[in-house]
Amino acid sequence: MFFRILINFIIGYVRIAVEGYYIERFINICKNEKIAVWNLKRNNDIKLYLNVGLRDYRKIIKVAKKTKCKVKIERKRGVPFVFNRYKKRKIFGIFLMLLIATTIFSSNFIWNIEVRVENDEKMENIVQDLEEMGLKTGEWKDKINTKEVINRVRLKRQDIAWMGIELKGTNAIVRIAKAKEKPQIIDENEYCNIVSDKTGVITKISAQNGTAVAKVGDTITKGTPLINGWLEGKYTGIRYVHAKGEIEAKVWYTKSKKVEYNQIIKEETGNEENKYTIKLNNFQINLQKKLSKFKIYDTITSENKFKIFSDFYLPIAIEKTTYKEQKEKKITYTPEEAKNIGIEQVQKELDEEIENKENIVNKNINFYQRQDAVEVYVTYEVLENIGTEEKIVF
Amino acid sequence: MKKKGMKKLNRMLEMPQEVYTNVPKFTITGFEELIIENYKGILEYENFFVRISTHIGIVNINGLNLNLETMTNDDIRVTGKIESVELERVID
Repeated sequence: MFFRILINFIIGYVRIAVEGYYIERFINICKNEKIAVWNLKRNNDIKLYLNVGLRDYRKIIKVAKKTKCKVKIERKRGVPFVFNRYKKRKIFGIFLMLLIATTIFSSNFIWNIEVRVENDEKMENIVQDLEEMGLKTGEWKDKINTKEVINRVRLKRQDIAWMGIELKGTNAIVRIAKAKEKPQIIDENEYCNIVSDKTGVITKISAQNGTAVAKVGDTITKGTPLINGWLEGKYTGIRYVHAKGEIEAKVWYTKSKKVEYNQIIKEETGNEENKYTIKLNNFQINLQKKLSKFKIYDTITSENKFKIFSDFYLPIAIEKTTYKEQKEKKITYTPEEAKNIGIEQVQKELDEEIENKENIVNKNINFYQRQDAVEVYVTYEVLENIGTEEKIVF
Repeated sequence: MKKKGMKKLNRMLEMPQEVYTNVPKFTITGFEELIIENYKGILEYENFFVRISTHIGIVNINGLNLNLETMTNDDIRVTGKIESVELERVID
């Protein structure tokens, strides 16, 4: 029944008032003639109000004549009546058609590119690369050959493990899995040296192939040769090989920080001010003056693209600028506090940098008190396998 | 005899009774909605009183602001503040 009412809304229906003595008979005849009526309501007066579809209205009049009831139309509802109302307004109709046409037309373009990198890693210049290879906003949808774009981007960039482009409405979703950077692999048959890639002190060195140049205890810097890719024999002379070996070295990671005793910290007061800008591709309309009334503030801008359904983006965007008021606050640390803060911060930074925490051998913390600040130096001693292959060029 | 056999078969298949007989089915949801399936016709309709005939008797509904919302060939929905529902058996 609900479905039938919905269809009737599209076809059009009328609410009528029936007045007469044989109202019940009228309803029963309606039922027997299979006329769909709904929302029957009777007020305290004799009138009966009911809804009936446009097509059944003529039948209703016949029934009413039979039962000697008076029929009066109360309200006309539905799409045909709405259209009828706008029949005379031609310009309105033209613009309505134009609007529909432009939406259909604009749905053939790409208006938004969404790049989703797995694990939220950062990819530099990926949008520019995509644009260069043919996927840009404002492009005709049929023109984009996603396979070709993928192939071209992957050819250009080495750091993509997998890539997929999905065109959904006016939205292009680019999914990327980032590949881990691989060290340059030198062919087994080619001759190479092993060269240090970090600064440190060697604790262990064993050459499986080639001659070890550095000794245990040697201090090395970046680029120092560790194992040379040749063997010298008394009788055979110099023979070039593909150097191989394991080198373990103590590597130092040092970071420093200066913590002042008197610091000015900006704190949010909680007052906010929003300002909006309408953006049409590259054209901007400011709705308010751009300056904020706050003295010290932080600005956050976020862009919201208009979309009709979940994936039908329009080339219009609203840029929201939020100004957050801030307050300056003076904080005075004692030397002890400043030192602890510094150490904590530096250690955190170092922890992020070092991958294998088990290999940390030693931690060294130094600090120097100055007149207005404390300088903290933290050094981590880490045992690491070092060495990269370097091709021998003759 | 044939009808009786059909009845047995239907009972075995656990068909709802209102589907294969003329017996009406009343569904009251809350105190504001009453759906009657397999009704015959409306005998009286007022703002406060609805009398509906079925194949086995008559139903009287008392209440306030009673509307006959959806009316189709075999079911009718009465909404409004229903206060009492009375059943009148037709003696045959």
